[in-house]
Amino acid sequence: MSFNKAKEYIEEGDTVILYLGPNNMHSIDVVHKIMNKKGELTDNVFQTIYGALKVPSLVGEKYGAKVQLSRGWAYVLQPTSELWTVTLPHRTQIIYTPDISLITYLLELVPGSIVVETGTGSGSLSHSLIRIIQPLGHLYTFDFHEQRASLACAEFEKHGLSDFVTVQHRDVCADGFGEKLNNKADAIFLDLPHPWLTIDHAVKTLKNSGGKLCSFSPCIEQVQRTCEKLTATGFVDLKTYECLEKELSVQYKSLPVLDLECLKHKRISEEAIDKVEKNEEDRRKYEKILTVTHSSSLPGHTGFITIATLPPVFARIIKTS
Amino acid sequence: MSAADTLRQDIIAVGSYVIVQRQKYRKLYKLPAENGGGNMLALGKERVEMSAIIGKPFWTTFKMIPTNSNKKLTNGKSYRLEEVHAAESLDDLKDLLPSGMDNRKITDDGTSQKLSTQEIMELREAGKSGREIVGSLIENSQTFSAKTKYSQEKYLRKKERKYFLYLTIHKPTIHLLQEIYFQQDHVKIGSLRMDSLAQILSYCDVKSDGLYLLYDSGSQGLAAASLLTRIGAKTSGRLVYLHPGNMAQTTLIRAMNFSNEQINRLSTVNIYSLMRMYYQDAMESKESFGSRDASGDSSKLVDPDSPEAQIQCNDSPNLLKRKHSDATVSSMVPKKKPKWLSETQSAVDLLKSCKVEGLAILAAKEHPLNIVKGLLPFLGTSRPFVIFHAYREPLQEVYVMLKQRCDVMNIRLLSNFLRSYQVLDDRTHPDILMNDVGGYLLVGYLVN
Repeated sequence: MSFNKAKEYIEEGDTVILYLGPNNMHSIDVVHKIMNKKGELTDNVFQTIYGALKVPSLVGEKYGAKVQLSRGWAYVLQPTSELWTVTLPHRTQIIYTPDISLITYLLELVPGSIVVETGTGSGSLSHSLIRIIQPLGHLYTFDFHEQRASLACAEFEKHGLSDFVTVQHRDVCADGFGEKLNNKADAIFLDLPHPWLTIDHAVKTLKNSGGKLCSFSPCIEQVQRTCEKLTATGFVDLKTYECLEKELSVQYKSLPVLDLECLKHKRISEEAIDKVEKNEEDRRKYEKILTVTHSSSLPGHTGFITIATLPPVFARIIKTS
Repeated sequence: MSAADTLRQDIIAVGSYVIVQRQKYRKLYKLPAENGGGNMLALGKERVEMSAIIGKPFWTTFKMIPTNSNKKLTNGKSYRLEEVHAAESLDDLKDLLPSGMDNRKITDDGTSQKLSTQEIMELREAGKSGREIVGSLIENSQTFSAKTKYSQEKYLRKKERKYFLYLTIHKPTIHLLQEIYFQQDHVKIGSLRMDSLAQILSYCDVKSDGLYLLYDSGSQGLAAASLLTRIGAKTSGRLVYLHPGNMAQTTLIRAMNFSNEQINRLSTVNIYSLMRMYYQDAMESKESFGSRDASGDSSKLVDPDSPEAQIQCNDSPNLLKRKHSDATVSSMVPKKKPKWLSETQSAVDLLKSCKVEGLAILAAKEHPLNIVKGLLPFLGTSRPFVIFHAYREPLQEVYVMLKQRCDVMNIRLLSNFLRSYQVLDDRTHPDILMNDVGGYLLVGYLVN
């Protein structure tokens, strides 16, 4: 229940983020008993590289507090959509924060927006969508995979978000978004293998006053077919972007400085040379600089983000060729 | 939201800001508070009388009808607007003529167009539509039918831009405003590229409730407007927007036509006044407050490029000057409690009553280090902060400072690569030009 509002203290039933390091974060449920592999209820103890954590002991702790592990310590944080994205259980490939940010920005979502998302996948984007549109808006999310849909549904319930989201198991390419959503949506997001098959349904689902459609596809061929279909159905202002986030690691570096000036002058005696060389050794200059290093391996491609606007009915122009 | 509300929102009203689009060109325009004369939009050398748009829904397209046939007029033509169902399209013109396979037969010797400049001018003066003019152009072009269909399309687009006399009116949104200002002069909005702005909103965890703190000195109010948009209408969220100068930049906040209900949850406060009132006894420091504007804590930080420079504002051409003189007057008469003082007081009360749920710092010109040190104490634990800067080095220094503290974690220095694409059948490729001024973000969380 820790997703819908900022909280000060951890309560039973919350999902919390256990932070051990930038690349070592876990989301854990603060409950007394959990199911083990044999299907028996056991005490909820979480094992980390710094030892075990008795999870129920977190109840009453302040979010942001340092907690003791048997061989070290960790921080407990309240999950934000960003922290959830990096700790959630993967059921599919997921969309990460840089793309999520751009998608939600381009869809122009505000509290109160009605959004349609397909497919739900692991719910990474869904959590961000809900964060923006609550408390007055609603997310309708679809997945053609039955188990994924029901797992996502349970997850939203656990996170206290079920008032703002409706999960449906449905193949939208074949069956559309349903009569009930006709002329209801402000924005539609597509993350599908064949997004162009849903565009006709999308036109029906977007409000008569118009709306936004965003499609996320890893392959350019998908983008091309989708854009062709979007243009043919009256969408305007089509734009396709690719956004990659680079993390820079801040470091001090010491750079030796060579003194070449002294070589220009003739030395007086051997003795002096010895002296100079000795001094040079002592004075071997280093310059300390603060800089960054770039990563040798980073995401080079995630997906193409295509955004399109559907004008209100009176201003729609369908070009016939 | 009731149907009437929705309706009112979608109708162009007097006194509101609109975005005027002509082809790919967009411009922010403020309608005068009263629909009278002087409702003139300047588009390059041309002037357009805008009264016709009032009361029409957004997305309406208008034809520009010339109102003066005076050829000698040197400072451009005047137009009035007439509502049309749709702008004329040149797309079908290319289907009238055959097309070639490649350009082996085309030589650029400047003789392919048989119409002279004079003749083309006459067509324009005769009030021919863009479609008619371009029609004559391609009829009289010896090479048009030898061009490939792609090249014909490109030619038509180019000519369309030149002779296109239609405007469409849009409602201002953050995305459109950012695009207009960034394209014109990205420095004016602190080089805040859309992907960076989008990530500030995400990493700052902006929701419809809670209190958020923003320091911004150079985005014309874009950052504050974006946060306030995410906080939403008819919600409980609040935003404190700190700025270093005498006047906050608010152009783009006003451009969003926020309702009073929403704008009332934004407190715009000078950072020096806030810090002083927060830490010193409010009573004893009142006198020094009175002379703040005159002493000019930081008046050098006030942007000399007037925030109004990019928009046209007919009802008060001297708006900026007038506001400045207002400020001077209020500082000279300290007895009447000025608005900024009560605004600062209410922001201090807010910050004393609870911790902020997200902190965003966009230092346009200043070094962010002391600002970060000064504002972090207002942030709640387990809550995120985002610092944006156009330069990397100051953020490196902030990074080192934060690493030495024990109450900040998961600090990351980020920068983005953003590329846009041309998507056309058989002609898809990255856009020829891209923009490399995305700036840098330093993000992290505050802990105990």
